[in-house]
Amino acid sequence: MSNVDRTALVAGKRTVASSLGSGLIAVAFVAFVSSWATIFQWLDETGAYLGFALFDLLGGLLVVFAVGLAVAGLASRYGYVTTTPSDTAGVPVAAVFGLIWAAVGGLAGAAYVGGPAWIVGAALGGLAGAGTAVLPREDVGSTLPAAALIGLMGYVVLFGQINTGWTWEPGWLSAAFPGSEVVPVLVILASLLAFWSGAKAKEGFGAQGRQAGVFYLIGMSILSMLGVLGLLILFITWNGLDVMLTGASLLGGELVVPFVGLGVPFPELPFVTNVTGGLFVEVPGVFPAIMGTLWLVLGAVALAVPLGVGAAIFLSEYAEQGRITQVVEVATNGLWSTPSIVFGLFGMTFLVPRLSGGNSIVVGQLVLGFMLLPLVLITSREAILAVPDEYRDASAALGVSRWETIKSVVVPAAMPGVITGVIIGVGRIAGETAPLLLVFGGQPFPSSTPNVLSSFTFSLSPPFVTNEALLQPASALPYQLYSSITAGVFPKEIFSDTEFGWGTALVLLLVVIGLYAIGIASRLYFRRKLDYE
Amino acid sequence: MSEAKLDGPEAKRAASTQTTSGETDEHIEAAWTNYGTDQETKLAVEDLDVYYGDEQALRGISMDIPAESVTALIGPSGCGKSTFLRSLNRMNDRISSARVEGSVTLDGEEIYQEGINLVELRKRVGMVFQHPNPFPKSIRDNVAYGPRKHGDIERGLLARLLGRDEKAAEDELVERSLKQAALWNEVKDRLDDNALGLSGGQQQRLCIGRCLAVDPDVILMDEPASALDPIATAKIEDLIEELAEEYTVVIVTHNMQQAARISDQTAVFLTGGELVEYDETEKIFENPESQRVEDYVTGKFG
Repeated sequence: MSNVDRTALVAGKRTVASSLGSGLIAVAFVAFVSSWATIFQWLDETGAYLGFALFDLLGGLLVVFAVGLAVAGLASRYGYVTTTPSDTAGVPVAAVFGLIWAAVGGLAGAAYVGGPAWIVGAALGGLAGAGTAVLPREDVGSTLPAAALIGLMGYVVLFGQINTGWTWEPGWLSAAFPGSEVVPVLVILASLLAFWSGAKAKEGFGAQGRQAGVFYLIGMSILSMLGVLGLLILFITWNGLDVMLTGASLLGGELVVPFVGLGVPFPELPFVTNVTGGLFVEVPGVFPAIMGTLWLVLGAVALAVPLGVGAAIFLSEYAEQGRITQVVEVATNGLWSTPSIVFGLFGMTFLVPRLSGGNSIVVGQLVLGFMLLPLVLITSREAILAVPDEYRDASAALGVSRWETIKSVVVPAAMPGVITGVIIGVGRIAGETAPLLLVFGGQPFPSSTPNVLSSFTFSLSPPFVTNEALLQPASALPYQLYSSITAGVFPKEIFSDTEFGWGTALVLLLVVIGLYAIGIASRLYFRRKLDYE
Repeated sequence: MSEAKLDGPEAKRAASTQTTSGETDEHIEAAWTNYGTDQETKLAVEDLDVYYGDEQALRGISMDIPAESVTALIGPSGCGKSTFLRSLNRMNDRISSARVEGSVTLDGEEIYQEGINLVELRKRVGMVFQHPNPFPKSIRDNVAYGPRKHGDIERGLLARLLGRDEKAAEDELVERSLKQAALWNEVKDRLDDNALGLSGGQQQRLCIGRCLAVDPDVILMDEPASALDPIATAKIEDLIEELAEEYTVVIVTHNMQQAARISDQTAVFLTGGELVEYDETEKIFENPESQRVEDYVTGKFG
């Protein structure tokens, strides 16, 4: 007889272990989802559901889960259900449980005994956690420490030690964490652990169980990440939507068709189309800031993309790979990580006196362009290096010169990568505030919009082309947000300063998403040209 | 073995047994001497050495390559046959550490001289690579790439505005090249599809067509069928034999049956970058002068 364990070849059959495991995962999932719903405030933490207070329910779920998990582990250990556990849960698992239980033991020691007892508590807790995890067989080692921990958390929540009325005020932090926020977070952490051990129990431990445990854990982490993202976006929309839609109507506006002079009904959105300050504005809007942001992005892209792509082509196609290219690479990476306020300081002390004598659009464009340059250079270089050498060989073997090859084979093939870099960079500079405070921003509540296009004037003597509008300060969305918050008092009574800020934030979000959409569409266009599908 | 029997092939075998043990130097005449036909020489290589950094990849190679025929280069990996091939259209220039000494003449003109026009050289001496490498463009763009870049065919918006668009000439060229490459019937309805959607064998024939579109005299092929299945390989082999009626084909191959099937003359490179024997293919495979070559072609070594 070999000592290799055999399991059923067909996995579809439902066993007692897998049914129990599925039930455990379902319980964990309910706790996980309702905790997120509590954080999103879809569930009321003081309300009652199914006749119980919400937190009592959550605590109860954890306790039920803990009991079920312990039963699953022990049933497997004593042979009541068929499983395939390994000899031990392994050292990494033991290390994690040791750390968690050391923290629990330390807290308990500090809370119930005081003084240096926390060290003893931590040591005992750590030893117990790690020992229980590593010494027994895997089915016990990966369920009992988890069940005890989850049960403890459930007990603490259920019997009110940490509940709605409780507030944690750690002395070393000038912050207070109310129970209404601590409990959902605790339950989410507990349910992540629950997913891992529940999934292991469901698949009968062993290699299958470890695979399932990790799979569920990663899946739930991704859900949590999406939850955080959704929370942010939802919060901005929630707070900003009313402000943005103030005075809006679907067909209340009028669009005058150029040349014909005929007015047609058009959607009206005063927050987006109005200026911010001024005497006769009923609903103050962010139109100057929108245009300011668009001009900034346009100028920065126009400066950074040709320079960055050109430098990337030179570095990867012409320059010998060696000391100098390495130095350039390190320097670009350094530039990319330089804090943006430093770029702002450079613009303020070097560019402003030379170009405009005061804050201006053109200096803002240059400074943001300098910030964008290293990213465009880095990503373009990567994209160009990723173009297979076979294309260059094929082109050279046809007698085509290096520059022609770059122009018609290498750059088109690298285009999707280049555009990806530009998209990321534009997202960053569109939201950039710090340097704009120093080189760009003007009045906090502008009453006019920079008129860049019609301000170009041409002359036959130097400087040939001038543009008064580019030399004036302006407003951009993040700058507008900052200035309306810091001004403290909003000039019109219709909004408070924070309300106006939330509206601005929502518009900024939409503008950035719009810029992304343009970028992604053009990337798709170039990629489709390269692919055969 | 008695003294009297030591003549003919037996004698040779005895002599070269000593060689492989390294005691005597074997000197087989590898230059183009005993070749029987009266074809003119297209490429003449004279005492060619190629170095990569300090390492010598080719040692004193001399051989004449006759026009309108298939010349196969065979030998084990790392023997320098690809290096040799790449030195015939100066593709080695693209490797910064490579250094070439000696002489290669194309129709009597030295290609390793000052002021050589690399564009013109590579137009006349085209190349097909081991792995099919069509550009990620349409089939038509792939074939027309060379002529467009050389200005032989004017296309594009500017040409259209100036009324000099040569769409008809391009169509004709694409059709002719693809027909020559035996690909036309398979792709004539989808010339504007991306070339990467073709199968490996079709891609390789497209690469041959792309090479033919610039109207070369010589086509260098670096193991053109090694990445293809037997059926695609057979098509490429048929194609090579057809091409040899008009073009001078030099082909590197690892497949000795392939060399025996399609080539008119065969050069055997063995380890160390030496050309050991160069003769009519039949002679190389049936009755080679050198024992090492015989061992190699019969599969005893390599």
